[in-house]
Amino acid sequence: MMIDTVISQLLGGMVTSIEIFLLTLLFSLPLGLVIAGGRMSKFGPLRWLMKIYISIMRGTPLMLQLIVVFFGPYYIFGWNLSADYRFIAVIIAFTMNYAAYFAEIYRGGIESINSGQYEAAQVLGYSKLETFFIIILPQVFKVILPSVTNEVITLVKDTSLSFVIAIPEMFTVAKQIAAADASIMVLLVAGLFYYLFNILVAFVMENLEKRLDYYE
Amino acid sequence: MNKKIGFILALVLVSLMMVGAVSAGLFDFMGGSDSNTNQTNNDNNTFIVGFDAEFPPYGYKDDTGNYTGFDLELAQEVCRRNNWTFVAQPIDWDAKDAELDSGSIDCIWNGFTIDGRENDYLWSNPYFDNKQVFVVKADSGITSIADLAGKTVETQKDSSALAALQGDNKSIADTFKTLTEVADYNTAFMDLESGACDAVAMDIGVAEYDIKNKDNPDLYVILNESITSEQYGIGFKKGNEDLRDQVQKTLDEMFKDGTVAKIAEKYGISEDALIQP
Repeated sequence: MMIDTVISQLLGGMVTSIEIFLLTLLFSLPLGLVIAGGRMSKFGPLRWLMKIYISIMRGTPLMLQLIVVFFGPYYIFGWNLSADYRFIAVIIAFTMNYAAYFAEIYRGGIESINSGQYEAAQVLGYSKLETFFIIILPQVFKVILPSVTNEVITLVKDTSLSFVIAIPEMFTVAKQIAAADASIMVLLVAGLFYYLFNILVAFVMENLEKRLDYYE
Repeated sequence: MNKKIGFILALVLVSLMMVGAVSAGLFDFMGGSDSNTNQTNNDNNTFIVGFDAEFPPYGYKDDTGNYTGFDLELAQEVCRRNNWTFVAQPIDWDAKDAELDSGSIDCIWNGFTIDGRENDYLWSNPYFDNKQVFVVKADSGITSIADLAGKTVETQKDSSALAALQGDNKSIADTFKTLTEVADYNTAFMDLESGACDAVAMDIGVAEYDIKNKDNPDLYVILNESITSEQYGIGFKKGNEDLRDQVQKTLDEMFKDGTVAKIAEKYGISEDALIQP
């Protein structure tokens, strides 16, 4: 295959990978916060439910979760699957999985804020909700940014797992081209694409960290 | 200034959360109600062929990036004659049964071996004679199956080569040092090239294509002794007789009027391998 065809094919696959990446982040970041809230709640059953959720999502392979989310509706409810459901299943599975990881990151961040902040806020007359969203959460955001960066970079590469339910993301496309060409050069090109995208992600996250460095 | 940033960040997060919750709900709803699609095809008049896109010359990506191959072109012609919309759906070979059962594909059509799987699918008539062979390096000194004793052999997971070596031809496999399953034949070839394995067990059609396309085809040799002879067919979900019969009828016509032979020639496939109806 000519090099320009290879690159345009890989870019097409990259678009799918980036779509999965952005949608997963969009949904799992907030969902993680909700789960973290449940995990730290005083209400026992809720706390246990969230603990179990996090344990299962982190403890089982993402590939298996993809298979369960996509084929589950057929094997459990007997619903016939459509081609559109493939992408939806990918987003659902990725979101649920990454939300569990983000939940623990959020929890770590929130628990690291010392009680002095809560006391000061109380003294200043902030309500519980105001305290959380205006005082605590911005500080948490600053603290967890390196961990979040780690997860985000992992997510870029994890998108390649969606091959298992036949999503044409970039690594699958690269493997197909490699098979047609009977060579592996294209896999190296694909690796380069991932690396370039990750450099961009790391650059953005680093900039974000710098702009939040308001104490230094 | 700092308080403002904090407040804005908090607002952004909250709104993201709400968007997230709403969309998640919407997606769930959409995903769940997609329950009216092809059990026996012809729902939207589409014919979805599930195939392994790393299996040239039966199904693979051509130089322009489109999915093509001997089997895919046969399927395309069948669709043209029946006024169906042809959809080439590359799948993960491991998941082929789940894909077929759940209706996300209508059939499996690419170098799909019948032998050993007779009772698992609803088959068309066999249309292709295939052989499972060993590929070795020309300078390895291996010239027959007996020479493979004590050697490392690889094959693709879930392939009929694997089935043969674990079933009827287990006696051959027992002489190997190891029999390893890999995800695809390209990886197996890389292992062969680098010396990480001594032989690859695969379909003769794919072997010939792969070797032809390497930089130095003379490095490799296909052993004359084959493992098994077997036949390719089109696999449908059990119970899907109507679809199978319709496809069979069209395929038989295509054999009679020479279309199949023409497509075979295009892909460098010998006519002897075709099984006339």
